[in-house]
Amino acid sequence: MTQLLWNGLFVGSFYALVALGYTMVYGIIRLLNFAHGDLYMLGAFVGFGVLSVAGGLATGLGFVALLIVLIIAMLVTGTAGLLLERIAYRPLRGAPRLSVLITAVGASFAIEYGMRLVAGPNPEVYPVRLAGDSVNVLGARITIQQASLILIAVLLMAGLQWLVMGTGTGRAMRAISQDPTAALYMGINVDAVIARTFFIGSALAGAAGVMAGGYYGKIDFLMGFIIGLKAFTAAVIGGIGNIKGAMLGGLALGLLESIGTAWIGGQWRDVFAFSFLIIFLTLRPTGILGERVTERV
Amino acid sequence: MTAYLTRRLSRVALVGGAAVAAMMLSACGNGLASGGGEQSSDKGPIVLGMLTPLSGSSSAIGPYMKNGAQLAVDEINGKGGVDGRKLELKVEDEACDAKSATAGANKLVTAGVKISVGGYCSGATLPTLPIFEKADVPMLIPAANSNELVKQHKKNVFLINGTGAQQSDAAFTFMKKVGATKVALMDDNTSYSKDIADTTAKLLTGSPALAGRESVTAGESDYSANVTAILKGQPDFIYWTGYYQEGGLIIRQLRQAGYTGKVMVADGSVDQKLVDIAGSEAAEGVFATMTQTPETIQGADKWIADYKSKFGAAPGPYSTQAYDAVRVAAEAVKQAGSTDGSAVIKALEGIDGFQLFSGPLKFTPDHTLSSGGFQILTVEKGKIVLKDTLQ
Repeated sequence: MTQLLWNGLFVGSFYALVALGYTMVYGIIRLLNFAHGDLYMLGAFVGFGVLSVAGGLATGLGFVALLIVLIIAMLVTGTAGLLLERIAYRPLRGAPRLSVLITAVGASFAIEYGMRLVAGPNPEVYPVRLAGDSVNVLGARITIQQASLILIAVLLMAGLQWLVMGTGTGRAMRAISQDPTAALYMGINVDAVIARTFFIGSALAGAAGVMAGGYYGKIDFLMGFIIGLKAFTAAVIGGIGNIKGAMLGGLALGLLESIGTAWIGGQWRDVFAFSFLIIFLTLRPTGILGERVTERV
Repeated sequence: MTAYLTRRLSRVALVGGAAVAAMMLSACGNGLASGGGEQSSDKGPIVLGMLTPLSGSSSAIGPYMKNGAQLAVDEINGKGGVDGRKLELKVEDEACDAKSATAGANKLVTAGVKISVGGYCSGATLPTLPIFEKADVPMLIPAANSNELVKQHKKNVFLINGTGAQQSDAAFTFMKKVGATKVALMDDNTSYSKDIADTTAKLLTGSPALAGRESVTAGESDYSANVTAILKGQPDFIYWTGYYQEGGLIIRQLRQAGYTGKVMVADGSVDQKLVDIAGSEAAEGVFATMTQTPETIQGADKWIADYKSKFGAAPGPYSTQAYDAVRVAAEAVKQAGSTDGSAVIKALEGIDGFQLFSGPLKFTPDHTLSSGGFQILTVEKGKIVLKDTLQ
């Protein structure tokens, strides 16, 4: 049982990191950024590229090399998020939501198959792999690497929480998410804040990408698709638009999957996990932490 | 926010539905237009069509199959072609995905293909059977081998690869041979993978016994939940019947979870990348059920050298089967004396003793090979080598 919980928490922390970007973007401009999972893929490939260029130097440093690569990949994917917003979404800010949504799907394909052109269709294997001896904690096998990856995820989430609740940028973000027009009247540079949101959300996805690459080892140009879907589910379960909700939703989804697999078998796992999405959408569309907002006319 | 979300989701569904409808319309359009491609008559080259994954998760296989077939086409054309007519190979992407495969099949039919020599992923090949059947195109499938393909009982479908059932038999024989007692099966829910797992499960009634089954979702990274579930049955032999990407991850995660028993993979996982993904330490000693590959066929050295000098790369899985499919197609056309679908099918059914890499060819009444030719490979010092021919 502890093993199940641990498995769930570990994979859930990846979901949570990716879900954060989804939820932040939705919270601020009401856009489901379907290209978000592909930024995760992009992060994994940037990490792979840097590690390959660094070669033997990186292999010698091991975990430290991955940390450096993590930061580089976060900067690159963050910038990619900025570009995505500037090129694909900003020109459509006033357009009907359906147009923006379709653009997001298009952007997702553009990133996937763009990466396929650059890196080829075959899966790549990370040159630095995180593997280590496991420690037995209450009947669960835990490796130091798993624990450190979770720690990194927690630190990133704590950093984000501080940024949103404790800084001026964060306050501006929250203001825009409540009312963009009023925020504009109050002298907030709406475009700049939205761009920053994209940067942060994308950087988090990129971090998750590098972590997944380093831990699981295999990356390919379609790897962002499923995790994007899962992160979206996590964001909805937690309450889309709500940052704490995304973290909670990610962990909840990881646990649901892990326990679902153990109880009713792997072939039913996704049925189990996604039926929770449907249940939430029907019974509590605002998710675990989302507040019920009365729409004013 | 509630209203936004629900509205948005229903719109996603709407867009998706519209896209599917549009695709179906265009597919029908192609099907109807197929009559137009027939007037290529009996003069020009005989066009062979091949569906193979050139993109997507199995795209590594595409070039192997394409080059293998091209090699046979060039050899036959070098000798003057078939009845004075040259062969021509047309390749379309199957992407290991039903949608791409049906679109590709329609394209090939429209292009006037006479015989199909492609088909890698069973799940993608399955929906193309009726398309080729309607156009009266015989199919020589070099790689896809799910029993689902056989169960359709289509007159025009012939399998050049051993079937899933034959693979299961080989796997079962080897399990007994190494003294496995509790066997667990893992598949990825695709037609090919589930088929082998199902037929193997039916064999595991006495000893070795079935110690659990697990299906995973392809395309993910974390299979630790599945690994934990499968290890609950305490197996001493695990057989993975899916493809190499997930296979590599599962082997690694099994070892990380402390599993020390034997692992075997099916032919979809036989690829050097399996070892890379799992890490050479975890992959060491993993077994595989596999039909003959160029490396394991005795006396194929000259063939490999020809292939290398032509394409500048080594042949891989299913290069030989694709090569054989083209040769069988040419032989059938020669015997039939025409490219007419039913005449070619008749000729194919009549072929007896035509020499393939896997041995002399004689199709069973089900249009499968009379012997699968499966053998056991193993990973030794990070390389996949022949372990046991099961002869």
